[in-house]
Order: sequence, then C-alpha cells, then structure tokens
Amino acid sequence: MAEIAFRNVTKRFGDTLAVDDASFTVADNEFFCFFGPPLSGKSTILRLILGLETPDAGEILIGGRPVNGVGPAARNIAMVFQNLALFPHMTAADNVRFPLVERRLPEAEIAGRLAAVAEKLHIGHILHKPPAQLSGGERQRVAIARALVRDPAAYLMDDPISALDARLREETRVELKRIQRELGRTLVYVTHDQEEAMSVADRMAILEGGRIRQVGAPAEVYDRPASVTVARLLGSPMMNILRSATSEAGLEAAGGAIRIAGASVPSTVAEIGVRPEDVRVDPWRDGLAGRPARVFEVEPLGGYTVVTLDAGEARLRALLRGQPDIRPEALVALSCEPARVHYFAAGGSALGHGNGR
Amino acid sequence: MSSIRLDNLVKRFGDFAALKTMDLEIADGEFMALLGPSGCGKSTTMNMVAGMEEPSEGRILFGGRDMAGVPMGRRGVGFVFQNYAIFTHMTVRQNLAYGPRMRGAPKSEVERRVAAVADLLQLGPLLERRADRLSVNILQRIAIGRSAILEPAIFLLDEPLSNVDAAFRAVMRTELKHLQRQFRQTMVYVTHDQLEAMTMADRIAVMDHGVLQQVGTPLDVYNNPANVFVARFIGAPGMNLLPGRPAEGDRGLVVDLGPLGASPPLPDRLAAAARRHGGPLLYGFRPEALELGRPGLALPVTFVERIGARAVVHFGDGATAVKGVFANDVGLAVGETVTLRPDRGSVRLFDAASGRALAGEG
Repeated sequence: MAEIAFRNVTKRFGDTLAVDDASFTVADNEFFCFFGPPLSGKSTILRLILGLETPDAGEILIGGRPVNGVGPAARNIAMVFQNLALFPHMTAADNVRFPLVERRLPEAEIAGRLAAVAEKLHIGHILHKPPAQLSGGERQRVAIARALVRDPAAYLMDDPISALDARLREETRVELKRIQRELGRTLVYVTHDQEEAMSVADRMAILEGGRIRQVGAPAEVYDRPASVTVARLLGSPMMNILRSATSEAGLEAAGGAIRIAGASVPSTVAEIGVRPEDVRVDPWRDGLAGRPARVFEVEPLGGYTVVTLDAGEARLRALLRGQPDIRPEALVALSCEPARVHYFAAGGSALGHGNGR
Repeated sequence: MSSIRLDNLVKRFGDFAALKTMDLEIADGEFMALLGPSGCGKSTTMNMVAGMEEPSEGRILFGGRDMAGVPMGRRGVGFVFQNYAIFTHMTVRQNLAYGPRMRGAPKSEVERRVAAVADLLQLGPLLERRADRLSVNILQRIAIGRSAILEPAIFLLDEPLSNVDAAFRAVMRTELKHLQRQFRQTMVYVTHDQLEAMTMADRIAVMDHGVLQQVGTPLDVYNNPANVFVARFIGAPGMNLLPGRPAEGDRGLVVDLGPLGASPPLPDRLAAAARRHGGPLLYGFRPEALELGRPGLALPVTFVERIGARAVVHFGDGATAVKGVFANDVGLAVGETVTLRPDRGSVRLFDAASGRALAGEG
C-alpha cells in the first residue's frame, strides 16, 4: 500500500508560507500531478513527502502510517531527479545496480533485482550500453529502473522533462505514462507545464500561492474549474474571463459583443468565463443584435487558428479549427453556447458551469 | 531601405560547418523567423547579420549595401537576446531612457519616446519601479523596450520568449506581432519553437544541420512542406508519415501501406506524381485532417491524451503509428479499433529515399 495523505499540512520558511493547510490523498497506483506556477509550493510538497522537510503543522501519512518523525531513508520512497541524470561513464546496468551496490547488498540479490526491473521496463537488450548510446526514451527507462530497483512504495518526479525540447517532451510524457501504467506503482509528479499535467495525470492538484486550489481528474478540472484562478491556469490560450451584466434578454459581456440568453444564469454572477474553443466567430452583418468585435491579431497554428479580439473594454481569444480567412481589423459577430459558459462570483469562485455541468 | 540579403553565406568553425551556404532575401518591413532545432545554424546566421561574427564566405547586404567590415554599432540593428540585459539598479524609466540619452537625444525627445514605448509595452504603471524588484516577464518587456526605443530599422530577436512563462509567452506573441505589423520594421526572429514562428512570422526559414530546408509563409510550410524534416518539425504533433508504394486500386491509384492495407485513392495530381515516381514513398497527412468512421485505415487506439481543448489520440504502434487531433469530446477509448480517413486535400507524398516532397501538392 502506497497511499500518500496530507492532513492540514503547513510549512513556513521564515515569513513565507510555502504550503498552507494542504490536505489531499494520493491513491495507491495513481499517477498524481502537482501543477502550479513557480513558487506555488509544489516542490515543497514533494520534499515533505520525501522527508527532506518537516511540516510545521499537520500530519503526513504513507500507507496509512504517520511518518512525521520518520527520516527519508525509512520512508521507502524513490526520487527520479530532474533531467533523469545518469552516470555517463557507467553502462546502463551499472547505473541501475548503483543504489544496491551502495547499500552493499549481496551480488546474487543485486543480479536478481536487476534482471527483474530490466524485464519490467523492457531494457534487457540495452543494459550493456553507456548512456551516450541510448535514445532519450531509453535513458528515461534506465533512470526509472535505477529508482525502482530499490523497490520503493512510491516514486516522485520533479519536473523531469522540462529541459527537453518541445517535440521530445511530447513523446517522453506519453512514454512516462505508459511506463507508469505497466508498473502500476504510485507516481507523484511535479510540473509547471499545464499541457504535460493534463496529458499524464490520473488526477491533479492545482496549486497557487502555497494553497491547493482544486483536486480532480484533468477533464473535470478543465470543464468545471472551482475558481477564476484555476480556470486561467489550465488551457492555452487561457479562458476568457469577462465582466458581465444582466439585462432583460439575459446576460451581456464584452461591451455587448457576447450575449447569453437563458434562465439558468445565477443571480450573483460578476464574471463569466468562456474557453477560446467555445467562442464562435462569424462575419458581422448589419441588422445583427448586439455589437461587433474587432479582430486584433490572427495567429495560424496550421490545424487551428487563434484570433485575438477587442470588444468593449475586453480583449478575448477564440480558437478556431482549420485555416479560416479572417483578417486583422475585420468586424465580427461573437457567440457561444449557453452550455459552455462558466459563471463566477465577485471573489472569483465558481457559481456554476453552463447547463448545470 | 532595410531589406536584408544573404548571399552564399557560409560559416565554419575550424572543420565544422555551422552554416553550409545560405541564400535568403528578407524584404523591407518583413517579419522573418529563422526556425530549427538546436545546432541548425539559426543563431550563427543571426550573429553574422548582427555583426557579432564574420562570415567565412559570402555576403550580407542591407538595402543593397555590403556589410563586410561594418561593426555591430554602425549597422543600425536593435538586438534582443534570450537573456535580457537590464541595469537592475536603475528604474524602468532609466533603463528605457539609457540608449537615447547615450546618443545625445534632447531631454524632451527622450521623455516623449519613453512614454510612447512604455505605452506600447504596457510598462507605464511600472516606470518608477526598480528593475531588480520585477518579474522575469516584465524584464523581458523592458529588454524589448530598450531596443525598440532606438527605433532601429532592423530588429533582431534571438529566442526572446524562452525564459518567460507559458501564459505570458502567448500574450507577448500576439503583442510582438501586432507591434511589428503597425511599425513595419524588418524583423528577424530566431526560435526553436514552431508555434512562435507559425503565429508571428510573415515567412519562416526552416533550417536543419546548417542547411536551409524551406522558406515560405506559415501556412505554406504547414500545408506544403518541402521535405519530411519540415513535415515533422512543423505542427504539434508533426505530420504522420507512413511507408508504402504506389499501387493500382479499383478506383484509381492508391498507396500500398503494407500491414495497413491500401490508402484511399489519391487525388489526380498526386496520383500522376506517384505513378511517375513508381518507387517507395512516404504517405503523409496532418493529425488535424482525419475523419473518423469513414472507410480508410483501420487502427487500434493505443493512447489518448486529453489536453484542454484537444484530444491527441495515438493509433497503432511502431512503423504504423499515427496521431490524430480531435475536439476533446471525441470519446475514443484505448483498445477500440477505428477507421481513419485522411482528408483528400491534406494528403502529401514524399520520396522515401531523399525525403523530398513529390510535386502535385495543394
């Protein structure tokens, strides 16, 4: 059992509240991501799990057992370091054996464990090679094998692929997810890259300013963000947050360029949120209700196009499929399905999502 | 005139050719991106344009004038690096005013320019703040402002956004593009990020291993890549490329994709090109240009990444691996087998040996 739980854990460094009253449970065999901007507290949480930091308040449990007073070595948790560093002068086999040799385990046991972990990670055929002769994915497997050879209850990764270029990151994160599924071990993963977090996590915790703002499956957090803060941290381009006013027809935002009809609008709504992919853009025609928006810039991505728009006081973005013929300065009509609108109160907390989603 | 011409440009460092013959014309007022992976020669090219390195061979012309022997300070270029050079003990205002003051601009002129640049880059409220108290995002804005305030005819930017966070990067992309469209400086922008090049540039010069691979508008290089390097490098994910051979099908020429069976019939122009070619091919199509459930390639779903608005779905494995990009509510699950049909207009063919595109695109 490698369930990891925090109960109201707080950690201060001097005057700085690094982790503020954090409570969560990482389930056994789960791929759990901590995601947040720099200094949001995610690396401190990792260090608290490892036992490299002691909480000022609250309780940490691993496998149901309180570990506040337990040192790092006795927690049986492995860390895979940033950039998956391997010793360049050793073969893959010697890299994997290293933690066991260091602990002076008998040679027969080392050989047995090496064979077992090599089979699990499909690296038997490359064990004789030095890291320089391995592909990025192979190096990754070797680095994970080295962490797993000690047979830890869980393993942790702190932004392990942030130094790779974009194309390699896309491939590596999929590989990581596959490995974790094959191994079926608890993996706690820290990243500042929202795309990476959504791609790999079974569940994720969104951190900001030392506080856990929301915990859930990526799709759940993306579709039903608990607050404006969370809504803006996930998604690229980020969610449009627009001040809104109720009118007789329903709700108006962006100087009247967006109008939401319907009775399900919460009465205390201060701002609405609309994802760029949910903004519809049509040519403006005289006689249309509402007001037009003006195209500020058009950015082609190939398969998609990002259109930045000015409407009233607001600047918003639309993510359109394909390569539509839209030019800067053009006047356009905006619309969105009521079911795709998010409603927020004055303080930023969510009041509801579309048709009760 | 602020056009730039690179004429048979070569740069060697000892035995290593960092740039193996580059010819490129950048028009007055154009936004040109130099795009490629690390080691492709893009920064070497930029350094020669700036005057920081001497070419081993060839010429660099600004508006027809040869720049050989002209030092960096006399080329009239503004330069913004990845690692912004900011005086941290000065305020934002002092940082912005530094360049024009050093050049002896009158006080009223300096003030006017600082106000204008601060307004453009939304630095107005921060003008009296000390630079050492500001975030990386703001520092990069100041660095761009310090260069822009000198109103250079040619603006060179080397990975200026790689240290700022993702959300801010998206905002800066839009703003930089808008600024350049308004002021029409000639801009050369070095990046390894295809997204930055696609979203901002008028044209992209794609480079690899010291060789220019293709020059074209963003949609040109996306829609009609000249070779498999460009096809894979542009797009996220890059183009799908499946090995095969031309074969006669019941309804016209197809590509025999081995274990995947036959492709849908090729459009006429591609069919003619494939017939002329006759040999091993790569059958290419964009992940975004796939229709589900139409007769086509039958493949198992091996992995699904739901990433915000999109779902990146992985099909098959190894040499027959294909990626598709769909809306996030596509509802495919690992293990099920589906049929995929590449949009007819999006199919491209490449010679398997050389990697070059076969004529007949678009």
